[in-house]
Amino acid sequence: MKKLYFSAPFIALIPILVIIPISFEFLNGFHVGGINTLTKFLISAFNPSFDKFIIAKSLHGLAITFSIAVFAWTISIAMGIILALFSSYSIFKILGFPSLIATIIRRLLMLTRATHELIWGLLLLQIFGLDPWIAIIAMVIPYSSLMARIFAEQIDAIDFDKIISIQQTGATKIQVIITAMLPKIIPLIGTYGFYRLECAVRGATLLGVFGLGGIGTQLYLSTLSLNFSEMWTSLWILFIAIYGLEKSLECAQNPYLYINRVGIYTIISLLILLIVFLLSFISLLYLGFDLLSASSIYFPSIISPENIMRSINDLPWIKLILETLTITIFASCIATALPPILLMLYPSKIFEKIISIFWVFCRLFPPPLTSLLLILCTKPSVSVAALALGIQNMGVLGRILKENINKQSSLISNAISKTGSKKQLSWFYGKFTPQSNRYITYSIYRADIILRETVVVGVVGGVGLGWQLQESLSSFAWEEVILITVIFISITLIGESLTEILQNKLHNSTQ
Amino acid sequence: MNVHLELFDISLQNKDNHRLKGINLSIKSGEKIAILGKSGSGKTSLLKVANGTLKPTKGLVKYNGTDINQISRKQKSHIATLWQDLRLVEELSVNQNINIGILGQKNFFWSLANLIAAIEENACIDCLHAAQLNKNVIHKNVKELSSGQRTRVAIARLLRQKSKIFLADEPFTALDPHQSLNILKILLNEVECNSFIIPSTCVMTLHQPQFIKYFSRIIGIKEGKIFFDLESHEISNQVIKALYK
Amino acid sequence: MKIFKDRILSLLIIFLSIINQSSFAQEKLRISAIPDQFPEKLNRLYIKLADELSNRLEIDVVYKPVINYQASVSAFRTGDLDMVWFGGLTGVQARLQRPGSIVIAQRDIDAEFHSVFIANKSSEIEPIDNINELNRLKGKRFTFGSESSTSGRLMPQYFLEQANVLISDFKGARAGFSGSHDTTIALVASGSYEAGVLNEEVWKDNLKSGNIDTSNVYVIWRTPAYANYHWLAQPNLDERFGKNFTSKLQKTILSLNKNKPKQKEILELFGADKFVKAYDYQYKDIETIGRKLGKIR
Repeated sequence: MKKLYFSAPFIALIPILVIIPISFEFLNGFHVGGINTLTKFLISAFNPSFDKFIIAKSLHGLAITFSIAVFAWTISIAMGIILALFSSYSIFKILGFPSLIATIIRRLLMLTRATHELIWGLLLLQIFGLDPWIAIIAMVIPYSSLMARIFAEQIDAIDFDKIISIQQTGATKIQVIITAMLPKIIPLIGTYGFYRLECAVRGATLLGVFGLGGIGTQLYLSTLSLNFSEMWTSLWILFIAIYGLEKSLECAQNPYLYINRVGIYTIISLLILLIVFLLSFISLLYLGFDLLSASSIYFPSIISPENIMRSINDLPWIKLILETLTITIFASCIATALPPILLMLYPSKIFEKIISIFWVFCRLFPPPLTSLLLILCTKPSVSVAALALGIQNMGVLGRILKENINKQSSLISNAISKTGSKKQLSWFYGKFTPQSNRYITYSIYRADIILRETVVVGVVGGVGLGWQLQESLSSFAWEEVILITVIFISITLIGESLTEILQNKLHNSTQ
Repeated sequence: MNVHLELFDISLQNKDNHRLKGINLSIKSGEKIAILGKSGSGKTSLLKVANGTLKPTKGLVKYNGTDINQISRKQKSHIATLWQDLRLVEELSVNQNINIGILGQKNFFWSLANLIAAIEENACIDCLHAAQLNKNVIHKNVKELSSGQRTRVAIARLLRQKSKIFLADEPFTALDPHQSLNILKILLNEVECNSFIIPSTCVMTLHQPQFIKYFSRIIGIKEGKIFFDLESHEISNQVIKALYK
Repeated sequence: MKIFKDRILSLLIIFLSIINQSSFAQEKLRISAIPDQFPEKLNRLYIKLADELSNRLEIDVVYKPVINYQASVSAFRTGDLDMVWFGGLTGVQARLQRPGSIVIAQRDIDAEFHSVFIANKSSEIEPIDNINELNRLKGKRFTFGSESSTSGRLMPQYFLEQANVLISDFKGARAGFSGSHDTTIALVASGSYEAGVLNEEVWKDNLKSGNIDTSNVYVIWRTPAYANYHWLAQPNLDERFGKNFTSKLQKTILSLNKNKPKQKEILELFGADKFVKAYDYQYKDIETIGRKLGKIR
């Protein structure tokens, strides 16, 4: 009997099958009522409002969102580096401290990372009331631990033998750390760090949708009032800003900037970070964020064990968890399978350009708003939530795929197209296949992130734990809020370990 | 002659096999020692134990009478190592990598400065010359070099350390025979080179028996034990054959 | 060394006071409102009101906008807001979380408030005479307003349950939550939902300003009356602003008069002729229903 054999590039395309259940559920609830509204939405893209007042309002919102994002980002980088040092096994080994401490710190960071910034925002709001710091802290907590993880991984990826060889020259511990590690970490600020800045802008926009101000709030309000030309004004302005940011960051990521010049690059990077930190701080003050006055803490009323027991019995936990997991899986499938398929459709420079602009929009349009638009013409369901999340993450994965394909040499695809095969096929075998392993690895990692993000669409889609969280918060049922948060964190952690296993399996099977 | 390094009854045991078994060795100042043996015979382990990076399961290593684990920073810088895998810092330039050799004799700020600028360039160029590498590579990143060039950068780093003794683990794997001989002669202090103090004592593992005539003392390692320990003129073809059998 | 430290400290204080002069100013009265309508309108209305109160009471009054219902309750609990225009449900939630809060006033229309159920023409839902006929909504696409809204969710859900219509009876076993009353109109008018429910006052407002295409969307039922919106104040205002401040504040609000041009504008934006006294007990029913529907624990 022939053994069934799946190669990596096909594994990456299989998830497209998820289209079947999604379109089934989507069409099942489909109704034409919202088509007019959706058409209006699409037409308005080319007909945004040029009203001076609205443009000014959008720019004001953009200023708020960017200031929050940049401010939170600079703090996260600083915290990320510090936390990375405290959670790196290599550092502990060099200093001669027990590595148990690093393990404990890592576990704690996993907790802060597993919780989406929106949950932090909603929880902090309950404790601190209306404080301008909420949006900032809500972003700093998960972002700094995410960065700490990446930085620490990179530090620990340094061959310890190299560290030993530097130690052997008689260098002190601190000399060893700076000589072996700085050159490794600092370029990361330029690559991963800057990538995080874009995420921070997206995160700040999303928090805006949930009421923490800025352009997200404006997008939300104009979508709610179905005022699409106004919405597109904000969206285009956001697009231009993000596109400009991405392009300028690409320049900053040029390795020639730091190679052999790590020291100068470090100093300049730190200087830029400091300046950007101060600028965003001043601009937040200027925009009316009262960051300097002390805030008081108010803990919600006492939580009783009986109420917790009651909440455990009251809520349909299994259904909620299953819905959340389904959203995650569906969304991950969409996000993974669509980018290569889109790129394969018609491999040409212009088409690629159009797709990548489309992806920018996918990335910056907050998923709750996507699902808001989708439920104009279908009933709220798991599929709507999954589609909304999947579309945004498709933008992220597509960008990564395209960047990696552009980096690889075109020798193979040239060779294949010389055989006279079709454009699509030569793209698939020549360009995608060499990348597919890496792409799948990254997609699996992305699934973790999507699981975390389900909280965002549950709110509008009316499904999953995210929805229940919003419902419990508005009923001020603290016991439920705590339980939901705990469950969210647990399934994210379980999901993370599962994807780790999966990644290792794939890694082994393809080696 | 004062003794530099002494190994007392060294045994090294992995999970299921003995790497080194009861090795006693004393390395005196001025000796040029070649260590021969099949792959996996324990040559590299022996070097690592000797420089203190590998703790033996049994036994003791002493440098000038002090336990190798307790020697001062300054004494540590007396022992230089040329690693088989070179261990260059990939992100840094040739100049910066060579300067790593001397970190042990410099302070924190100096090492920070080394990251920022090409400092003490002339000293580095001297080392490069000694390692027979053109000075125009000095500002290149080590990633851009060929493997032969990288070996020579590592040698330049070794020279920069100005150690009293150096240990080298198969330094010639990436070099052609002609280059190898040149470098060997430099390392063994047989050719004149600019004001260089090349450490007078060396221990080198080798795969090229034809080089043994340049050394004063030859040690053969077989299955983790010393198979022979002879002066170079005492070595015969039969001994070598027996070692590699 | 110590002198140096002190100098740095004093410089820091000067620096901080320059950028944050306001923190040394006199205490302000912070008013807010649940965001049940578009923020432009809320801004216009409450900034005017803040001005008026500021003139009459001779203290600083500022309007602090809040974006969602539960944030306004939280901010009231944490003491970030001094007086808030709450809906029936949010007011009760706030009072339970901040015991001793004082109900100041309601509009003349709030004692007997109504919601309206609306439908899209193509849904062909017939107007309803009797509460039991609400079961016509079974199997339809139906949307509420915000999940914490009294008139857009709590009371309508209560009436629906009285007519034995459960959320699971709607199409897809779910109801939508549009987020605001205005959006409910837009969504039902566009046909995204076949029916919805909202605050009668907002409906009337939109009718008056011509925002509704009446050929597309119409009222199918008006609910029985219940008590709704009211001003709620912190219990500690007298300590912070002086003796009898709370009653002075109450009197000022009650005295808003539609014969005076400036005050008339405010009252018009509120959609009321005048404010009247309100009492805790008027909202007992809401509390009971809220508990029954799980919105109050």
